Amino acid sequence: MTPAIEFRGVQKNFGPTEVIRGIDLVIQPGEIHAMIGPNGAGKSTLFNLVTGRYHVSAGHIALNGEDITNRAPHDISRKGLSRSFQVTNIFHRMSVYENVRCAMLWNLGYRYKFWQSVRNKRDLTERTDEVLAQTGLSSRSTVLAGLLSYSDQRALEIAITIAGGANVVLLDEPTSGMSSAETEQAVTLIRDISATRTMVIVEHDMGVVFDLADRISVLVYGKIIATGTPAQIRANTKVQEAYLGTDAEP
Amino acid sequence: MPDPRKLGIGALIVALLIVLPMMISSSFALSVMNQIGIAIIFALAFNMLLGQGGMLSFGHAVYFGLAGFVTAHVINGMHVDAFPYIPVTLIPLVGGIAGLFFGIVVGFVSTRRAGTAFAMISLGFAELVTGLTLIIVFFFGGEEGVQTDRWVREEWFGITYGPDIQVYYLIAAWCVIAAILMYALTRTPFGRMSNAVRDNPERTQFIGYNTHRLRWLAFALSSFFAGLAGALHAINVEHVGFETVGLGQSAVILIMVYIGGTGHFAGPILGAILITLLNAYLSDVSPAWYLYLGLIFVLIVMFAPGGLAGLIMMHEPIRRTAPYLLWQMAPAYGAALGTSLVGLAGAIGLIEMIYFRSTTVSLDSALVLYGIELDTGDIWPWLICAALGAAGGYGCKMTYPRVAEAYSAAMHEARALVTT
Amino acid sequence: MEVFVFSLFNGVLYGMLLFLLASGLTLIFSMMGVLNFAHASFFMLGAYFAYQISQPLGFWSALIAAPILVGLLGAAVERYMLRPVHRFGHVAELLFTFGLAFVIEELVQMVWGKVPVPYDVPESMNITAFAWQGLDYSAYRLFMLVISVGIFVALFFGLTRTRIGLIIRASLTHPHMAAALGHDVPKIFMWTFGVGCALAGIAGVIGGNVLGTEPGMAIQLGPIVFVVIVVGGLGSLSGALIASLFIGILNNMAISYDFSLYPIFKELGVERNVEGVLADLVNLTTGSIAPLLPYLLLVLMLIFRPRGLFGMRDV
Repeated sequence: MTPAIEFRGVQKNFGPTEVIRGIDLVIQPGEIHAMIGPNGAGKSTLFNLVTGRYHVSAGHIALNGEDITNRAPHDISRKGLSRSFQVTNIFHRMSVYENVRCAMLWNLGYRYKFWQSVRNKRDLTERTDEVLAQTGLSSRSTVLAGLLSYSDQRALEIAITIAGGANVVLLDEPTSGMSSAETEQAVTLIRDISATRTMVIVEHDMGVVFDLADRISVLVYGKIIATGTPAQIRANTKVQEAYLGTDAEP
Repeated sequence: MPDPRKLGIGALIVALLIVLPMMISSSFALSVMNQIGIAIIFALAFNMLLGQGGMLSFGHAVYFGLAGFVTAHVINGMHVDAFPYIPVTLIPLVGGIAGLFFGIVVGFVSTRRAGTAFAMISLGFAELVTGLTLIIVFFFGGEEGVQTDRWVREEWFGITYGPDIQVYYLIAAWCVIAAILMYALTRTPFGRMSNAVRDNPERTQFIGYNTHRLRWLAFALSSFFAGLAGALHAINVEHVGFETVGLGQSAVILIMVYIGGTGHFAGPILGAILITLLNAYLSDVSPAWYLYLGLIFVLIVMFAPGGLAGLIMMHEPIRRTAPYLLWQMAPAYGAALGTSLVGLAGAIGLIEMIYFRSTTVSLDSALVLYGIELDTGDIWPWLICAALGAAGGYGCKMTYPRVAEAYSAAMHEARALVTT
Repeated sequence: MEVFVFSLFNGVLYGMLLFLLASGLTLIFSMMGVLNFAHASFFMLGAYFAYQISQPLGFWSALIAAPILVGLLGAAVERYMLRPVHRFGHVAELLFTFGLAFVIEELVQMVWGKVPVPYDVPESMNITAFAWQGLDYSAYRLFMLVISVGIFVALFFGLTRTRIGLIIRASLTHPHMAAALGHDVPKIFMWTFGVGCALAGIAGVIGGNVLGTEPGMAIQLGPIVFVVIVVGGLGSLSGALIASLFIGILNNMAISYDFSLYPIFKELGVERNVEGVLADLVNLTTGSIAPLLPYLLLVLMLIFRPRGLFGMRDV
């Protein structure tokens, strides 16, 4: 089976600082793969490398078997990879509905068309309503995104990420800053959307990670020290020493 | 299906545009209306960049002006059969295509960046083209510019574009068409994504769009409509000079659009009408007109970044839910207006007197202000104006907080009405 | 050779004058993210203030007082007008300074009229300092060079060797960090803006009597200063210095040598007697296109190196 994402010897330096020091990892299609590790281990950097936000210093990244190393972010997005951001990154002056609709325009083939209205397009309306319902934002659809509550903005962040129908989705700390009730809701949503997608998730909440993930990779100082099922990771002594044992979060 | 209410308003506007010149006999007023029509198209085109695409250009008159020159040359060429005949009615399209062409070429370079860098680059291109006007005399006609004659031959229904009234209808028709097209553009995938790249260029990339392409397209389409306006300008005044591409023209359109309001489609229309009218009727009366314009602009930037349209639309939720609340706000608004007028009267008096003393050669003639002859050599007019200004300023300091209170109270009440 | 030295001298002089403007603009831009469109207007105010002060008190008082006044005015503008606009974002700030430039130009016309004012080089320095190869080097120009180089050196030492310079450089690269360390960033902003404007004011005082003090002087020089900071790389002081000198020298060389562009066209196979658009171009000389050169440079820079010479970051 072709891996959804494959990292081969990926490195990233910022000047003399090595942030990612050689990553080899295969993400299987359909799995939920969690990245954990202490702050500054390079989890977000890895996301930024996959999505083309940063340039890779060395090594290769492939998406569904196709090399995407150092391609432009929009190019990678069009190939079916989508991401959410740790710091909410939405279109503040547009309504929730518009946010979601814009996020699917390219993948539904609307591209740069300036001779066709987006109004009353069946595929757009249906898909937008569907995504809004799925993320629990239906009642908020006319509100300006910038005026939403924090947890609704996080939900919109995910709605934008999945709207285009990407088959590989990267979520960067989807539950950060949420109360436990909100986290529970978010977990249900993530499980729901992962049913038809490959998902890579960076998360600090270990409860969420061990609850959701099929496999977990532990990243410490730019290297993966272990990859395996939640049970394997729990039992791994190296992980316990390096990470879980010392400052694990409940 | 378009909204029947909007269709009704549209039909009303078209009817008004048709009968308006019949009610006005002055040729000056007609020429002002022509200028307004051109300004509306240009302002809407400019707002495609500023309001919808988030690109601040200090040099958009370049596309307006270049298209004007091209139009003048094409018409002149038609007169000597150097160009195939195109009805003058359709010549604005030639200007639009010229604008589109220059927009595509320059836009490719300038839209690589957004924000401040884009603004500076637009200024650089404007200076470059302004400099070229005096060098490439063949095309720009040097300091004299290019003359043209819009009366080429008789077109449909005996239209020759000899009389100004025919030009009025030409401009009005193109103005309506261009406004409808530009409105329609806001609802296309391009228009929606143009807003997206304005709000958050980074996220736009991660939903599959090339931000440079989007800005470039917005720039090119905006230049098309700016070119359309430039062509109408060339037809209207039958002359295109180097100043049409210049910084002054670019500055005026920017000020117009911003005062009108960039956040609403109708904002630039409002600004174009208001500023063109004021310019037409005040610039001869007061030497300080540009100072007033600049001050209005600065005040809008500081206190009402949504422009006049934004100020009006702020009251829309109140009007919709409970119009009677507007009446409750009226006293506070009236008091603020009164104190503002007092302060303005004083400030304008002072400004006019200073201008008078610094720019008038002979001080024998007296300054006539508000219909009163003032002796600027005397101390009293200065004292009175200063007192008015100070009183008005102090009054504003007292009344404006009341306006804010009245507004938030009304909004609060309107919100309460909606939720219950 | 003497033409070369002479135009090099004048080019460096013009370049240093540009740098006086560009350095203040760069300082303000890097710290506050604000591109001060009105920067050249403060330069103009410097010249007009100097003219007004030098009438009763003489040039030397003006040299001290005018920049201080301009600086205070700049600080007041930042404190009472620009700061409230800050919350609307950088484009609003740029629009504000644009409106300010517009208003200042009109105010200058209101107070001093539309025609140039007779702000002259002081008598004591309106003499030849030395003559070389038959060309006179005026004492005042020498003085301008000394002042501008002196300020450059003072700025350099101020930024690299003093505590306040350290804080400023820290705020340039890490504005939030500077705030976190307990520095009063709004106050630093206000004084940066003031000092930047004062530098422009000095340029106005020493340049106004050579370049001409009239209401159009701001809009003539302003765009060139923008070119300087884009070409140098937004936010880079050393880039601004090199770009200033380069543009200054290029401009003066183009004017004093006044090369014909005809040989280039001849190489391309265009003869002098062509018709049409080329007829205008064939007879051009570098002197006649000198005012365009900065903008041509800008366009070339954007095509081949969009970040500018020393640009570190995107805007």
